[in-house]
Amino acid sequence: MNSSLSTAGLDRRAFFRGSAIAALAIFGSGSLAACSSAVGEQRSGAGESANPVRGGTLTLAIPDDISPSALLTSTTAAGVTLSGLVYETLTRYPLDSVVPQPVLAKDWKLSDDGLTLTLNLRDDVKFHSGRPFTAADAEFSLRTYADPKFSAQLRSTAAAITGFDSSDPHTLVITLAHRTGNIFDLLDLAPIFDSQTFDKAITGESFIGTGPFVFVSRTPNSAISFERNPNYWIVERPYLDRVEARIVPDSQARLTSLKSGQVALVSPASLTFRDSQTLAKTGGFETTSIDGAELQIYLGANVTADGLTDIRTRKALAYAIDRDRIMTEVYRDTGYAVNLPWPKSSPAYDAAKNSTYTRDVAKARGLVSEVGALPTISLTYTGASPDFEAAAQIVQANLAEAGITVELDPVEATVFFKQLIGAEFKGLWLTNHTFAQYVPSTLTVSAYPFNAAHNASKFSSPAYSAAAEAAWQVPDGSSDAAKKLYADLGTQLLDELFLIEIGVVVPQVSAASTVRDLAWTKGRQPQFANTFLA
Amino acid sequence: MIRYVAGRIPSAVVVLFLASLLIFSVMRLVPGDPALALAGPDATPEAITAIRHSLGLDKSIPAQYISWIGDVLTLDLGRSFVLGGQISDLVLAGLGNTAVLAGSALLVAVVLSLILSVAVVVWPKKWLTSVVNVLNTLSVALPNFVTGVLLVLVFAVVIPVLPSGGVPPGGYLAHPDITLQYLVLPSLCLALPVAAALTRFLSEALRTEMAQQYVITAQAAGVSRWNLVTRSALRNALPTMLTVLGIQTGHLLGGAVLVEAIFAWPGIGQLIEQGIGRRDYPVVQVLLLLSVTIFVLIQLVTDIVHAYLDPRIRIGGQS
Repeated sequence: MNSSLSTAGLDRRAFFRGSAIAALAIFGSGSLAACSSAVGEQRSGAGESANPVRGGTLTLAIPDDISPSALLTSTTAAGVTLSGLVYETLTRYPLDSVVPQPVLAKDWKLSDDGLTLTLNLRDDVKFHSGRPFTAADAEFSLRTYADPKFSAQLRSTAAAITGFDSSDPHTLVITLAHRTGNIFDLLDLAPIFDSQTFDKAITGESFIGTGPFVFVSRTPNSAISFERNPNYWIVERPYLDRVEARIVPDSQARLTSLKSGQVALVSPASLTFRDSQTLAKTGGFETTSIDGAELQIYLGANVTADGLTDIRTRKALAYAIDRDRIMTEVYRDTGYAVNLPWPKSSPAYDAAKNSTYTRDVAKARGLVSEVGALPTISLTYTGASPDFEAAAQIVQANLAEAGITVELDPVEATVFFKQLIGAEFKGLWLTNHTFAQYVPSTLTVSAYPFNAAHNASKFSSPAYSAAAEAAWQVPDGSSDAAKKLYADLGTQLLDELFLIEIGVVVPQVSAASTVRDLAWTKGRQPQFANTFLA
Repeated sequence: MIRYVAGRIPSAVVVLFLASLLIFSVMRLVPGDPALALAGPDATPEAITAIRHSLGLDKSIPAQYISWIGDVLTLDLGRSFVLGGQISDLVLAGLGNTAVLAGSALLVAVVLSLILSVAVVVWPKKWLTSVVNVLNTLSVALPNFVTGVLLVLVFAVVIPVLPSGGVPPGGYLAHPDITLQYLVLPSLCLALPVAAALTRFLSEALRTEMAQQYVITAQAAGVSRWNLVTRSALRNALPTMLTVLGIQTGHLLGGAVLVEAIFAWPGIGQLIEQGIGRRDYPVVQVLLLLSVTIFVLIQLVTDIVHAYLDPRIRIGGQS
């Protein structure tokens, strides 16, 4: 009945036409009428040259924002991006070794007793403020690094410096309390700050360094902008005019930003391994591995927890875990299984020792039956990480085969941190560590899980402490003498098993094919002085 | 009317006070600690104590509350522990972005629901009703993260005509045409479930109105269905629709958290997510209190507009 009523004044077609116009008026008018396209804007500026070309803006997606008050602690993607673009260090390791190369220090000499290091500094370097860089700035930076309130990663090594002489503006002499094999790890990691503006850096107002890019602006939670340093000490570098880091917290959104051309690069290890692998097979994109900047996945054990005090249980865990399955299924064969933390590029890598514990369920079952009835053991991990979640589930299934019942305990990252620092884990935990790619002794004096003095496993033994101290105090961290001591340390780690290493994970970085000559440090900091857009 | 408004304000203030107490307590009860998050895994106990002192976390809980609420009342929101900078700047930037996104989504939702509701009532064809019902059901059934990913895949990856996310690099006002393109996908994603709810409600309300005696009389007098719907039925259905719109605005702000993550939109949702994840107490406290304030205000404004449009409510309010 109703349908037969008159609709005079406006017919259906006219109504829908009007509606369509209204909808277009909201969103479409601009894009239809205007000449400019947001997508076109994002993609402009890229040519096809294979030779280095100057200019252009490199856009990069990072998962988090800078945390200025944690400038020296931060291992976040934003922190390392800022550090790599704006700041430089005195020396730097190449990715494949721990032999230091010059950066702000031209050359150096370590005294025969290993207690005095004299560094000759470049005299042609200026901070972004225009002020010349001097030895006093290097002294200030190393002193700042040692300050406990900044909680820097290699603080113990910085604290081993007991004397500074910066009276000559281009020479820094440091005196060590004892011989310190990883002193160049510190020089590789400690950023050189402008002493006059450091207080503004920790409040996030400005970041002044000597690096190839100048910090321009930051919109918290949104973007960080950098511009080419026109006075950079390497002539004609960098090639790029600008770097724009966009903060994209969601992994899927980072992937689509890259695929849609909104960004040309995604920071290392910030896509799932599966997505990186898929991108590697997609035209227009490239995925590369950063060998030498590894992360290690491991299972930690609280050696005082019920069921884990007996070394036979911990050995059963080491035999039961299917490391190859975790490396294949979770990390998509981007790394390799290990028993010891050090990667292949490390002087401490030992292929024979790394096959001490390969999967042997029968042996694991035998050890469990020797121990007798075991309680249910808790396995804590960060629930927000799909990688850790998948690895924890595989570990749970592996241990069940060996007769060990594990209860999964996913927690939030902040809670995980609290339990790690406070040594509060109820049983096992699963996470990753880094710094094994540096001088091997760094791990046992700086990285928290291994720290002989205090660690989350509540493990301590005079023999392990002595081995850690002895390895640290060899002046040359890559010498044969040092390698012998690393072997002792490796034996200790395999015998005590307070940490059960699973695998070395090599970070993947995905980028548009137009981005050329990307480079990274061992600490995954971007080195974009030679990067260009083809 | 003024008495009606004055009568509603005390309860709003009490709600805000209780909310501030609850928010403060909950943040302290959540496991995890900003000092530990800032200190990192290699921190010494001395470093953690120093950080805790610098953040004022070594004071008693009541002292921390009084200090915080006193600062908030004097509009001194303090500094962020983690992100750095003044909280007022962070909140204003985030709020601005969320307001733009939510505002455009609301506009899309209202326009879509008006168009669809009026269409199905003016032309009650079976096929048209079915199409609108299917659209409504899909919009409600598909969560934001599915719609968002689909929109991005289709319009940013497969047919790259729109940006996949982010805000316009030069700001909203530099190039309005570019700004519109950045807004299309996130606001459409956010608007769809709200538009569906509004459409369902409005079309039912219009149909009910169209069954009233005065409408039948007018129809008999030869008034066109279009005129009846747009000039009479819509006018009568709009007051109750406003209440629904108020509730839906709340849902829309809730949905914004997820949509902001999908489209890398640096709004309040992203700020809350970062703040909670890193236990940035001052930021989260202010944002949660702000969210409650916005909800209370929306409710208040909805009630006031409702009372203005329908005299029976304000008379009831007075009695």
